[in-house]
Amino acid sequence: MSQPNPAQRAELLEEHLHAQGIIDPERIEPAVARAESSSGDVPSPAMGARVVARAWTDEDFKTRLLTDPVNTLSEYLDQAIPMAVVENTALVHHVIVCTLCSCYPSGILGNPPSWYKSFEYRSRVVREPRAVLAEFGTHLDEGVELVVHDSTAEQRYLVLPARPAGTDGWSQEDLATLVTRNSMIGTGLARTPPA
Amino acid sequence: MDGVHDLGGMHGFGPVPIEADEPVFHEVWEGRVWYMTRALGGRVTTDRVRHTIEQMPPGQYLTSSYYERWLWAAEHLAEDPEVLADTNRSRPRPSPTTPLSPSRFRPGDRVRVRNVVTADHTRVPRYLRRAVGRVEWAAFAWPNPTRSAETGTYGESELVYTVVFPAADLFGPPADHTLAADLAESDLEGT
Repeated sequence: MSQPNPAQRAELLEEHLHAQGIIDPERIEPAVARAESSSGDVPSPAMGARVVARAWTDEDFKTRLLTDPVNTLSEYLDQAIPMAVVENTALVHHVIVCTLCSCYPSGILGNPPSWYKSFEYRSRVVREPRAVLAEFGTHLDEGVELVVHDSTAEQRYLVLPARPAGTDGWSQEDLATLVTRNSMIGTGLARTPPA
Repeated sequence: MDGVHDLGGMHGFGPVPIEADEPVFHEVWEGRVWYMTRALGGRVTTDRVRHTIEQMPPGQYLTSSYYERWLWAAEHLAEDPEVLADTNRSRPRPSPTTPLSPSRFRPGDRVRVRNVVTADHTRVPRYLRRAVGRVEWAAFAWPNPTRSAETGTYGESELVYTVVFPAADLFGPPADHTLAADLAESDLEGT
């Protein structure tokens, strides 16, 4: 007899947890669909892009986002959690990781990408962040101060990327198209607009 | 615990595997395991879930995918007495707006990370033990993760500080960046 594969084990577990009254299997699919949604109204990179584009165009919102992120993000988050927002500029660049597991600003960005949870990223970005960023095609100027945030406690980090040049007068909707998921983790920068 | 999960600073893992336009879940069972693990974890503490994953034998941990590790943890949580008792049901999840208690350390203070590791759960990564850093600020208050993992319930909160370290002190002179980590007051001492 071969060992059951993960799909078979998951099915057995589901039956067991249903019999125990711990889960209602009918609620799984809607929850998974929500996690998979790329709508800006649920936690996803699109929601993060909305937050960033708003901060780029509304100085008061940006100040509140940086100084009081828990309350400022409460209109987006399902659940109040400790949050820190760190701003990338021409002088300082922040990048986030969780070396111990996979802590991530999921309340805003949704589930993390596989690379964020990989042994490669978790082991290396604290030690050689410039080499890791280069693998993402991100090359920082030599003088830029680089700060790696290891999410070792319950506080979640969101990176506010720098607003690209050449976007004066852009609407929030247009600006949001320049905000990539990686730019909100710090492995990337926001896209520059086509010339 | 000194576990295989504590990967920060290790050599030898190679290039980061970056998949363009990847789906949230690669297989149907992954989404279902994600849901079940969260449902199980909601009956205890996130720390209990983390500590369960950390019990996975090291060889298996390194050869399993992310959701295979979650599946292993969910199977174990499903037999966990505290999960079955729904231990944390009557306790509200801690609030990030909990009033901060008087702080032992102030911004700018030099602190050393205590080396008090046991087989229990800890959120102090190996590469920071005994390191000396500078307190940035008292960021928030949260229940102690070692106790939350052990009891399956959230108890009293303590202050958690963001502490910054010169990476060269941790990893040698070629490193020119800063490492920031969030550390509980009980894991720090004055220098």
